[in-house]
Amino acid sequence: MDILNNLAFGFEHALTPANLLYCAIGCVVGTLVGLLPGLGPLATISLLLPLTYSLPTGGALIMLAGIYYGAQYGDSVSAITMKIPHASSIVACIDGYQMTLKGKTGLALFTAGVSSFIGGTVAIVVLASLAPTLGQVALLFGPTDYCALMLVGFVCVSFITTGSLLNGLAMCLLGVLLGQVGTDLETGMERFTFGLPSLTDGVSLVSLALGCFGIAEITKNLDAREERTPFNGKIHLMPTWPEFKRIIPSALRGSVVGSILGILPGGGPVIAQFAAYALDKKVSKYKHEIGDGAIEGVAGQAAADEAAARTSFIPLMSIGIPENAVMALMMAAFIIKGIQPGPNMIAKHPDLFWGLVASMWVGNCFLLILNVPLVRFWLSVFKIPYNVLFPSILFFCCIGTFSVNNSLNDIFTTAAFGLIGYTMMRLALDPAPMMLGFILGPMLEEYFRRSMIISRGSFTTFFTHPISATLLSLIGLFFAFQLFVAFRTKRAMVVEAPAASG
Amino acid sequence: MVNQNSARGFFLAGVALFFMATALRYPLGDLAHAGPGLFPLLLSVPLLAIALLIIVQARLSAPVPLSFNLKNIALIMLGLVAFVVGAQLVNAAVGIVLMVFIAGFAAVTYSWTRNLKIALGLIVVAYVFEHFLGLNLRLF
Repeated sequence: MDILNNLAFGFEHALTPANLLYCAIGCVVGTLVGLLPGLGPLATISLLLPLTYSLPTGGALIMLAGIYYGAQYGDSVSAITMKIPHASSIVACIDGYQMTLKGKTGLALFTAGVSSFIGGTVAIVVLASLAPTLGQVALLFGPTDYCALMLVGFVCVSFITTGSLLNGLAMCLLGVLLGQVGTDLETGMERFTFGLPSLTDGVSLVSLALGCFGIAEITKNLDAREERTPFNGKIHLMPTWPEFKRIIPSALRGSVVGSILGILPGGGPVIAQFAAYALDKKVSKYKHEIGDGAIEGVAGQAAADEAAARTSFIPLMSIGIPENAVMALMMAAFIIKGIQPGPNMIAKHPDLFWGLVASMWVGNCFLLILNVPLVRFWLSVFKIPYNVLFPSILFFCCIGTFSVNNSLNDIFTTAAFGLIGYTMMRLALDPAPMMLGFILGPMLEEYFRRSMIISRGSFTTFFTHPISATLLSLIGLFFAFQLFVAFRTKRAMVVEAPAASG
Repeated sequence: MVNQNSARGFFLAGVALFFMATALRYPLGDLAHAGPGLFPLLLSVPLLAIALLIIVQARLSAPVPLSFNLKNIALIMLGLVAFVVGAQLVNAAVGIVLMVFIAGFAAVTYSWTRNLKIALGLIVVAYVFEHFLGLNLRLF
């Protein structure tokens, strides 16, 4: 009953005309971002972050959240119709595009839209029931536990987003080091500023994000020099009843998988859609059709994708630790608005928390309308050539940077991070873990120093507290497993080499 | 040919050494009373270790060629600098025109009329930002 009361309270806030407008803007921008190649939710949230400074707190967060989960809806459209994958719609390219080749584009789009709606709805129920409970558990956490939890997040994000643990960890460390630039809060001494006044408050989050995700991404797309042919096929959206019946079980399975994987550190839409697809291939009644354009191949992954996008808000809002780079940017948005996400957030700002949760369902309805009956209009977005699009994105990068401090010189910082971001991209270093490290860096240092003061400089404190000891043991086990796998692979290669030559 | 894997290792090692050397210039203190240099130093040590490991791994595996298109990134950087300089010396409208025309060289095809249309469109957007959202841009 409590949840229903709280949700009713949340809807009171979410359904005000202003918040409905912010939610609608977020969903429209998110869908657009999801559709456009080369502009992900990370770049867009970075781009719009400065523009939310003047918006009311609730409205700003509702809009940014709408962009994130809206992008998950939109990206399956480009994957299904044109086989243009975004990070979170790789799986949609498999069966979704196969359905397009069979002339079933409308059915694929309907399946993706409805499944995303189901996934989003299930995830909101999970979010509403689990976040307050997890918030209570988080009150048991001390500084050592928070340090260990952040390290778990770094390891998971490094491994999952980059595929290479070493590269990912290096980027996390680089991010934490960049977070050290500026004034040391304990002693007041300036670090790594080289006398530059613009660095006294640290590296600008907006410059870093826009440089590494916006400008680097633009240049990468320009390097690719790809001309894409827009989709011109016919779309019949309405499925038959037997087709509709096939969507529901798969979407529900995907919703559960996505909701669980969205909560885990390092989890999120990408891993969730793969897991849901794998599950459907194992248990679906039509598993033999998956891979050749089956409804289940689209439904499960779309639901998981959307569910994970919503439940990834749980660790951020209940523990105060973001589990991926997009959530780290959301955390920055919360902090900019003077709200510290964490166990006390729900008690201190119930209107904000429940308003955001309720707005997600409102956004779900907006997105269903935008992505099912109105999908034909969105497909015309593909007709905008990249030659026109990229100067506009570049302009918005300039405006976004300028609006933070009304300083044109900040654009030089963004340009410098653009160059660094491009260099990292060419060196196959993913900037997403760096972003997480950058945002969590100051918090990690604070908790580390606090742990060391309490324990009088003894590292054993991390192993005498049960929560941190468990989390660090998990990291240790993971590293041991990775070493074992690497050793076994190497040995197998050594054994195979003479056999092949013989 | 530059090996991408080795280059990655050297890049990370350079960053780690830079932070390590700079951190040593600040008071370190001890673990119980950490100075401003201690935490960055503690972080740069594992970063350097990872960088060295990547360099060693690169020596043992097949090289991957590093592709780096200097032209496009240079044009984008130049476009951004032109925007700032134009906006500072004249006004933001001139900055926008300079940025669009310089960055336009990075596109697949170059068209003066297309660039002019884009620049005019962006000036209209900037006007909306300045007059309706209160952005202090000094457009004209």
